[in-house]
Amino acid sequence: MPDLVGLGVLGLALDDFKPFVLTGLSLGAVYALSATGIVVLYQATGVLNLAFGAVGALGALISWELVNSTGIPDWLCYLACVGVGGVVTLLYGVLFGPAFAGRDALVKATATLGLALILLGAMYWIWPAGTFARSLIMPTTNWGFQVDFLNARLNGTQIIAMCFGIGVTAGTALFLRLTKLGTAMRALADDREITATLGVPVRRVEAAAWLGSGLVCGASGLLLANLVGLDAGSLTFLVISSLAAALIARLRSLWVTLFAGIGIGLVEALVTPIFELSRYRTMAPFVLAIAALLVFQRQNTMPVTRAAR
Amino acid sequence: MSSRKLRIVVALAVSGLAAVLVTALAGSAGGAAAPVGSGKQTATNSVCGLGTGKKATGTPIKVGGLVTFEPGTDFQDIARAAAAYFQCVNDNGGIRGRPVQYKYYTTPINPVTAGAQARKLVASDKVMAIIGNTEILDCTVNHKYYRANGYYVIGSGIAPECYNGAPTMAQVNMGPAYSATGTAQALVRAGAKSLVCDTSNQGDPTKYVNLGCMAVGRAAGIPVYDSHHDVPVTDGASVALELAQRAGNGGGIVLTYIPPEALKILQAAQQQGLVDRVMWGCATPCNTDFVAAALGSTWNGKLHVNAELALLDSNGPDMRLYRAVLKKYASKTAIGSFSQMGYTEAMIATSAMLNARTPLTKQSINRAIRDVKNYKTDILCKPWYFGVAPYHNPNNTDRTVVPENGKMVQKEGCFNILAYTPQLRQIRVWERQRNLNSGTPPYPRQGRAG
Repeated sequence: MPDLVGLGVLGLALDDFKPFVLTGLSLGAVYALSATGIVVLYQATGVLNLAFGAVGALGALISWELVNSTGIPDWLCYLACVGVGGVVTLLYGVLFGPAFAGRDALVKATATLGLALILLGAMYWIWPAGTFARSLIMPTTNWGFQVDFLNARLNGTQIIAMCFGIGVTAGTALFLRLTKLGTAMRALADDREITATLGVPVRRVEAAAWLGSGLVCGASGLLLANLVGLDAGSLTFLVISSLAAALIARLRSLWVTLFAGIGIGLVEALVTPIFELSRYRTMAPFVLAIAALLVFQRQNTMPVTRAAR
Repeated sequence: MSSRKLRIVVALAVSGLAAVLVTALAGSAGGAAAPVGSGKQTATNSVCGLGTGKKATGTPIKVGGLVTFEPGTDFQDIARAAAAYFQCVNDNGGIRGRPVQYKYYTTPINPVTAGAQARKLVASDKVMAIIGNTEILDCTVNHKYYRANGYYVIGSGIAPECYNGAPTMAQVNMGPAYSATGTAQALVRAGAKSLVCDTSNQGDPTKYVNLGCMAVGRAAGIPVYDSHHDVPVTDGASVALELAQRAGNGGGIVLTYIPPEALKILQAAQQQGLVDRVMWGCATPCNTDFVAAALGSTWNGKLHVNAELALLDSNGPDMRLYRAVLKKYASKTAIGSFSQMGYTEAMIATSAMLNARTPLTKQSINRAIRDVKNYKTDILCKPWYFGVAPYHNPNNTDRTVVPENGKMVQKEGCFNILAYTPQLRQIRVWERQRNLNSGTPPYPRQGRAG
């Protein structure tokens, strides 16, 4: 068993970390997925959506309800989770987006925090936490294979999470660069007023950003319900990891967001076998985000899109 | 309208009315089944309180409780089940005609709130008894206050003080530490090569929950590890991998979490292919069919769960009534160990109130609660008692269950929990000396006149 340089003093070897790589990668990919939705929405509308986790949790719980209380095919119920994410986010964006358009970024973010708390309260009311154990396990979660060199099992949902995280990031980057709507979104990010005077239908473009971000949010909720567990509170507050990834990417670069998300997931997972640090691993997103903010502040490169002004 | 047509219309109307009347009468005859919990208390039939089937209408007897409720830690099912039983008692004659008015407060894990809510029950609400308490800090923070105010509290304990330092508090459960001990004993008997004792940081502020589990491992001469994780668990896969890595192949893992959190770790373990690599165990909270159903057949016989109370589908008279009461009065409350505890606490308290001297006062009711002994119920392995002692742990014998196709089934019958504390060793001495739980003479459940 080869010793890992620097960690030998802790009695650890490389093999001790191997089983945690896959779980870190998959969870990190979902963080990146969520963070991509957050960044795109922020770029287009100037809104830092703190309700991202709550909306995903709502979608997952509705999906669970449909699976367990109706005869609807399971795959349609899973799609409903994605749909709920899109619809709730779009509704919020259409109803409240214009009213907050002229306000500063802090007000906009605080408003979404209000949405998160309302949704969290509603979820606890409709689906009380209590001792009732809920789970939403897709068939892909039960399918998998052993990855011998990492001494861990890779399941279908983890594969989907990794592919989805990378695919959505790449797709969104291409979409923003190559399509008319994407160009309009980027223009909004630069200057909302000038874009409007150029004849771009601002509200429609913003609605598209809310919808796209919401669909990503629903997909993240579904994946996290499988990878982490179906619990309104946990899923709501997992937005913190995604926010950290988005902040590390300065709410700007989708590719940095992807790597930051995966990095956070990996750090959280790889700290686990270090028993002395294990109980502090949930601090990883905070620590990494604070470190990034300190570096940006030092370099004076904190991002403020014109849309956010 | 011709007279013929008129006759036809009248005839149709009359026959329709007659049909409605017949249906209604048949319905009422069919619905004349005895109300839930009514009848005579016998060895084979359990009833709610006096079992008269008549609503109690007198001056309410105020009873209160405290339960912890915050994300990741929710004991409300215990209070809900107690409330359900008291409702059934109220529909069956109450306490000598007086209904029980049960009210419980929820608290986060905060000593200030725990203390404040206890004072609210005592000073503002002026409750006559305190039943159903399952508050993580309650025994630690409030036991002296309860004692000073003359309350003998029946609850479900968590903190160590509930079992080694609260003279006026007795629990129907043995608490997470002893339950984890029982789970560890089951895993060692099943051949575990090591023991990882894992619980939540928030639920174990004094770090005592794993002590019994580790004592079992040490007694068996195998490696033991103390482990804690934050709840809500946000990365079940990493937690499961970490635990399995610590335990090593063939090692045992004892989880002491509420069901939703334990389930996250167990499902992650399944996804990571760890079900057979180590031996899994879980303390009493996992003894619920929801966990068994959510885990599925992969876990058949592979999760050793400590059961401080009877099997959920067992057919003793108290368990039959428990299920019926929950179905009628608290249909959204899960059938499981937590609701069993609340139900049992309310059942014992009701019998004590029926045995209390009249007029019913706070003093007479609490004296009656203190004097309960040899209380036989098929929900517990041995008769329950309160009594006068510096500490109490009347339920120190339990079972092991395992999931089997969506249900929990018994793997091991009642066994004594390892007495790893001097308090439990002393309690067993008192039990013998004072005839506290031999079952003879049995406690009169419907009052001495009942």
